[in-house]
Amino acid sequence: MEKLQPYAIDDSSSWEGLLVGDVKAGFPSPADDIREKLDLIQLLVKHKASTFFFRVSGVSMVDAAMDEGDILIVDRSLDPYNGCKAICFIDGEYTVKHVEILEQQVRLLPANEHNHQYQPIVVEPEQDFLIWGIVTYVIKKM
Amino acid sequence: MFALADCNNFFASCERVFRPDLIGKPVIVLSNNDGCAIARSNEAKALGIKMGDPFFKIRRLVEEHHIAVFSGNMALYGDMSRRVRWVLEEFAPSIEVYSIDEAFLDLRGLLVEDLDSYAKEISRRCQKDTGIPVSVGIAPTKTLAKIASKLCKQYPKLRGGCYMHRPQDIEKVLRKYPIEEVWGIGRKSSRKLHNRGVWTAWDFTQMDESRVRMLFGVTGLRTWLELKGTPCIQFEDSLEAKQSICVSRSFSSEIYDRNELTQQIANFANDLTHKLRKQNSLCAELVVFAYTNRFKEEAPQAYHSTLVHFSNPTHEYRPLIATAVQALNEIYRAGYGYKKAGVIATKLMDAQDQLPSLFEDPQHTERDHKLSAVLDELQRTYGRSSIRMATQGDGQIKNTCENQSPHYSTRWEDLPTVKIG
Repeated sequence: MEKLQPYAIDDSSSWEGLLVGDVKAGFPSPADDIREKLDLIQLLVKHKASTFFFRVSGVSMVDAAMDEGDILIVDRSLDPYNGCKAICFIDGEYTVKHVEILEQQVRLLPANEHNHQYQPIVVEPEQDFLIWGIVTYVIKKM
Repeated sequence: MFALADCNNFFASCERVFRPDLIGKPVIVLSNNDGCAIARSNEAKALGIKMGDPFFKIRRLVEEHHIAVFSGNMALYGDMSRRVRWVLEEFAPSIEVYSIDEAFLDLRGLLVEDLDSYAKEISRRCQKDTGIPVSVGIAPTKTLAKIASKLCKQYPKLRGGCYMHRPQDIEKVLRKYPIEEVWGIGRKSSRKLHNRGVWTAWDFTQMDESRVRMLFGVTGLRTWLELKGTPCIQFEDSLEAKQSICVSRSFSSEIYDRNELTQQIANFANDLTHKLRKQNSLCAELVVFAYTNRFKEEAPQAYHSTLVHFSNPTHEYRPLIATAVQALNEIYRAGYGYKKAGVIATKLMDAQDQLPSLFEDPQHTERDHKLSAVLDELQRTYGRSSIRMATQGDGQIKNTCENQSPHYSTRWEDLPTVKIG
């Protein structure tokens, strides 16, 4: 959403009951200058250009960190770091993986440690998946 | 120096950001009502799909090659365009958003040692942060920067960025650059030039100054000078005072009903269009806003506004009114009593400077054009309220958009889903 800027006024004509004028009207409120407030976006979105939201779905096993319906805040601008949770695109779907960066290789582990149906994936160039972004926050309804 | 950042196959690229499975596959995006192709991935271009091809004509090709087809998702494209702009703003003190997928960066006064790396870095950051591939050309003038950015699309080894400044390089490029593809050279001018044996941008620069002025006026001369490396097209960043037109109104009592507010906005947009036409201006951006009564402290308060870019600036009634109504629908929230609302046209440009549109179905444009002329005539003869668009609610502006992708980044219900695995 864009902020309104003050604009030049065109007063070349006016119609009955139609005001052609500045966007702002009325008397200024004494509280107008005081802008202090808590802003969740400011807290949760560090890079507005690269931050996107994802919704967790199809979780069969309850995981402590991420559940069905949770909203994940994802930043594309970050590089994967050891221990981060990343949104990966594997086999045509988005999956959250735990990234492990070792000296010689990078591995994607199941984000849910109780989940044994997925084998670790070793990240190599020329592979058929991509790391889409890094999870920075989870919004969870209690 | 100026940079032009141009998003590659923008609408198709937006779709791919959320559908990585389509990377490397042919993708097209269709215009309003699924009329014709308005964006094509490189793979779709290679299959011979042309800009503006009507869908029925390419349906067989689409099926044969499993081309992914999308109806335009303007909410998504607008959001991605904003994101690209935010990245670009980090690289220059001022930027001029030229269209939904193009922006100029003013690099004058910026101390950068290696502008070629700078161009590549801008492109890399756009791709990394937003997922959109962007071609960045840096050159001494805006017209040359446009050409430099085209080079990046042609030559992948430039890695999305190219700095074109040495006279011998510029000459080499201009010698191969078709004159009709130069920014500011319209169809009519190209025909005139072809008739005189001028085929490339270089041929044009070799013409006599007085002859250029005689044949193409000041506008042509500007392009001629720009191609020769003298900047003369003004940089229009958003900080400058803009010529704009506002039509707004305070209501005698608060409006709660969506349809009622829609009608008001449609009327404002109608009057706004009239004003634009009167001064022969095209509007590139439209702001729609609606405010509650802030003196009723006990009532819920809202100051809603939104800004819409037109990739093709317009002063036709239908697109302006439809867009205003659509924008209102985006910002309207039930339960608020709106006391004041309005529409503002900004980024006005002279209608004579309009370039032929690539993105729109020429038949639609022509129809809008005729419709506007008829409306003008009727309103002039019978008064402004004699005839109106039937924007009496949502129904009138609905488009067929069978294959529209979810509003991934602008609607909570449409977020991409991810599993934990």
